Amino acid sequence: MSDPAPLTTDRPGQVASATPPARGRSRRLSDRGLAVAFISPALLLLLAMSVFPLLWALYLSFTDYSATRGGPAHFLWFENYTAILASAQVHLRALTTLIYVVGAVALQTVLGFTIAYLISRRTHGRGLLTTLFLVPMMLSPVVVGLFWRFMLDAQFGVINSMLGSLGLGQVEWLTRQRTALISLIVVDTWQWTPFIMLIALAGLTAVPKYLYEAASIDRASEWFRFRTITLPLVWPLLLIAVLFRAIEAFRLFDLVYILTSGGPGVSTETLSFHVYKVAFLGFNTGTASAYGILMVLVVIVLTQLYLRYLNKLKED
Amino acid sequence: MAVSAHEAVSPGPVRDHTPPARRSGGRGRSVLEVALLTVLAVVMLFPVLWMIETSIKENRDVYAIPAKFFDFKVTLDHFRDVFVASGGGPSTLSVSFLNSVVVAGVSTVLATVLGVPAAWAYSRFGVKAKKDQLFFILSTRFMPPVVVVIPIFLMYRQAGLINTQLGLILIYAAFNVPFTIWMMKGFVDEVPPEYEDAAMLDGYTRLQAFRRYTLPLLLPGIAATAVFALIFSWNEFVFAIFLTSSDNVRTAPPAIAGLIGGTTVDWGLVAAASVVFALPVLVFAYLVRKHLVAGVTLGAVRR
Amino acid sequence: MRLATAAMLVATTVAACGGGQDDGAKASAPKAPATIPELTKDPLTLSFIWFDWPPAHALEAFANAEYKKERPNATIKVNTVPNANWHDAMFTQFAAHKTDFDIPILDSQHIGEAVTNGNILDITDFVKTNIDVKAYNPYLLAAYGQFPQAETGKRDENASLYGLPLLGDTWTMIYRKDLIGDKPPQTWDQMISVAEKCQKDHPGVSGLAFHQANGSDAAAVTYNTVNGVYGGNLWNAKTRKIDGVINDAAGQEAMDVLVNKMKPLTAKGSGNWFIDEVNAAVAQGKACIAFNWIAASGGLLDPKQSTLGTTREQILDKLGFATLPSQKTNLVPLGGMGMHVSAYSPKANQAEALNFMKWFERADIQKKWAAAGGVPSRTDALESPEFLNAGPFNQVYTDSVARMRDMWNVPEYARLVDIENTNVNAALNGAKKPKDALDDIAKEQQGVLDSGSRKGGGGL
Repeated sequence: MSDPAPLTTDRPGQVASATPPARGRSRRLSDRGLAVAFISPALLLLLAMSVFPLLWALYLSFTDYSATRGGPAHFLWFENYTAILASAQVHLRALTTLIYVVGAVALQTVLGFTIAYLISRRTHGRGLLTTLFLVPMMLSPVVVGLFWRFMLDAQFGVINSMLGSLGLGQVEWLTRQRTALISLIVVDTWQWTPFIMLIALAGLTAVPKYLYEAASIDRASEWFRFRTITLPLVWPLLLIAVLFRAIEAFRLFDLVYILTSGGPGVSTETLSFHVYKVAFLGFNTGTASAYGILMVLVVIVLTQLYLRYLNKLKED
Repeated sequence: MAVSAHEAVSPGPVRDHTPPARRSGGRGRSVLEVALLTVLAVVMLFPVLWMIETSIKENRDVYAIPAKFFDFKVTLDHFRDVFVASGGGPSTLSVSFLNSVVVAGVSTVLATVLGVPAAWAYSRFGVKAKKDQLFFILSTRFMPPVVVVIPIFLMYRQAGLINTQLGLILIYAAFNVPFTIWMMKGFVDEVPPEYEDAAMLDGYTRLQAFRRYTLPLLLPGIAATAVFALIFSWNEFVFAIFLTSSDNVRTAPPAIAGLIGGTTVDWGLVAAASVVFALPVLVFAYLVRKHLVAGVTLGAVRR
Repeated sequence: MRLATAAMLVATTVAACGGGQDDGAKASAPKAPATIPELTKDPLTLSFIWFDWPPAHALEAFANAEYKKERPNATIKVNTVPNANWHDAMFTQFAAHKTDFDIPILDSQHIGEAVTNGNILDITDFVKTNIDVKAYNPYLLAAYGQFPQAETGKRDENASLYGLPLLGDTWTMIYRKDLIGDKPPQTWDQMISVAEKCQKDHPGVSGLAFHQANGSDAAAVTYNTVNGVYGGNLWNAKTRKIDGVINDAAGQEAMDVLVNKMKPLTAKGSGNWFIDEVNAAVAQGKACIAFNWIAASGGLLDPKQSTLGTTREQILDKLGFATLPSQKTNLVPLGGMGMHVSAYSPKANQAEALNFMKWFERADIQKKWAAAGGVPSRTDALESPEFLNAGPFNQVYTDSVARMRDMWNVPEYARLVDIENTNVNAALNGAKKPKDALDDIAKEQQGVLDSGSRKGGGGL
């Protein structure tokens, strides 16, 4: 028991412990002080820059406030929320976002894992390979968006030029409903496959070698080994990677803004892009805030459900 | 133990015996795997190579159909244009690069200075409702930037922070602190607390023990964390475009975006600017490549 | 709250009944003094905000060279933002009630939003005492300064002014003299058949190139132009009716011409083209006839960007510039921008801004601006050799002035134009049937106008 209380009796001769009790107390106090001193600046910044704005947005979401038109805000309570949930325009964007998130995350998971698996089976040049594959992830979305737009240009883009050399026709990458969404998915996949690859690689290299060796003595088939040893050990990590990517993809804005600006028509407008239009074209701040709060809610609820599922998976 | 990315990235000595796959799978399969890997590498790297190529082409060749892969005249004019304005003097792009250096640099330092001690405290001390606090901290990163930008804008309007570098620095630091705390907590957990305890037995205070014994061991982790913070602030676009408007404040991503939508797109200039802009991040990332895995997994890779 | 709603209803009704002088919301724009206050002797930077394009750089160079002669202590800084971000950048700063610019260069249609929110100064009195209004085509003064909006081609002399012309602009038809001959087509139908023939005769070259993108005001201006030429109207300003006006028979015909006759003559995948891409297509010799803003056409003569020739003269042998063909009317789109005074900039800067505007609208300066590559607005400058000889497309502008028509400049402009952009873009790219797109435009725009006075709610 390190509880100093019994030591504060009037038996001075009994002080035998290595640390004097007085010091012990002050140390515990200073520990708490240190904890507070070390944690509070970070928390204060978060409170000021993340929590406070969020609460403000929450307040605005119940009002008809507009950032440009001035004047006092009137309470509409849940009117903004019901309007958003009932809006066919919003449903359309939600569907687009869903297709995009599922498509992009699925594609990059498969590709990222494949690359990681292939790299993990190499004996030479793994360091160089990994570093090279990481480059797309380090680029700014602005650069990625601009440059892909240039490459995907139907007339002057290098992609169609190569297809042309192969004798294939021009593809309208960014100006047809289907291909535009696919292009968006492809570009996002290009940029973020390295992320999944990196995490998968971490999982793959963490598989203890004795497991493989045991399996190889048993003459287990390659596929059997992959299914029973590799996959189960990498799976939880991969699921976390998928979570991170899904959250990021759900709030995608900059790539849409630069690559398609939502077109053709509104067929590649994501929820984030729609919020932007509500917030900055009409300056309908109240509605935009409610829209944003709903998006945050969706993320938090889905994340919690997913994490719970993940924990259950671990327990099994 | 957290999986050190060292293992993931370097072909270290652990694997110097032939992996089992080789023994049983045979040569054909190995060749197939190498071929597949090569194809994937080419596909992933082609856009980057094309960007570099475009940056050294004359504008006439940039649009050429069929595309010119090898037979073009090399020019470095675009790189000159990135830094020098047409009338002499520094270009607006180069000013924006400097702004990016200031904004990304200071916000990264700020996030590190705030985040590392907090991570240490979370790792070492019993803090009330620790799990909730940590999840809350992480969840502040779930918010779509387009949503956050509205209240931030209203707040900055009151505080006079719109169109200032300080405004961008603060918001970037706030976005990076949660990440720094989570990632650094993983690194701190790795360092046995016994080191500090031993130091304290020698008469050091807790703070001194942290500084003298733990901090030096954390440096590689701090470097990796800082690179991720740097990548975020360096590349960020949404806040930059909505919170700043003048040339002397604006960072590079909106400045590069501004290169299109005028009257003619100088793709050579766009490519050169992109290459110049990407270089610092790539260099930093290369320097800490061994710790990047821990970065992307927020220290979640542990067994 | 109910009272406020009632007040808004009244305001809407007032606006609906002809948009008279005492439009409730309008009173909020602060007034500039009639005479320029005393100017500071200290160093002062006069800041503009515009989007990133050659005229912005030309303005900065021109003003620093010329204005400094009169006011050595003043420095001109033209801040530029990406085109796509232009409206947002200005209006977020207005919303902040703090601007880092003194002179916002608004698109003509932004005036309503800025005036209603009280973001720019009412310069009616200043114009009366300092500007020779007779030197201008009245519609140019109205388009870049008046609110409520004037009837097309006219100026309401009793209405208030909030800005002065900075850069005039309209579409020019760019045609390949070597492919379709020296004489440009005169009617829209003729233009289409010439383009059709040219495309057939020259494989690899498409008949037409024009703006189709869904950003900025690209596709919307294109539709509006065809709509005007085929005798349609965008709205009835008096009754604030869009539904039933834009999608009337003339509007339908215009949409049909655009989607079913013009679009098939454009390059494959050109559905996201705006200024840059149209210029690139012309410079690469890939279009017989193209439409673009005059102010954005200078780059076409740059041999470094072009495959049409190695000198300016060679390029001009192949490229012709003409006014738009006419059909049922001869309307052309009004482009360009005016300069305004930010209500939030310091008094000394506002005074300097007024002084700059007075200086800029002087006859001699307008000619110098023309020689420096700008497009002036004073009639004498437009007809001066300085202007007409400065560029091959300048005559086109002068000839087009009397034919111009603008979009709505109501406060809801940004949303109206977005609706039109996305729907026209959808129709051009096969994402919507032309008729459905037009009806959706009418319905959605009407919805925006009808709920226009509601404050923060709505907007979906």
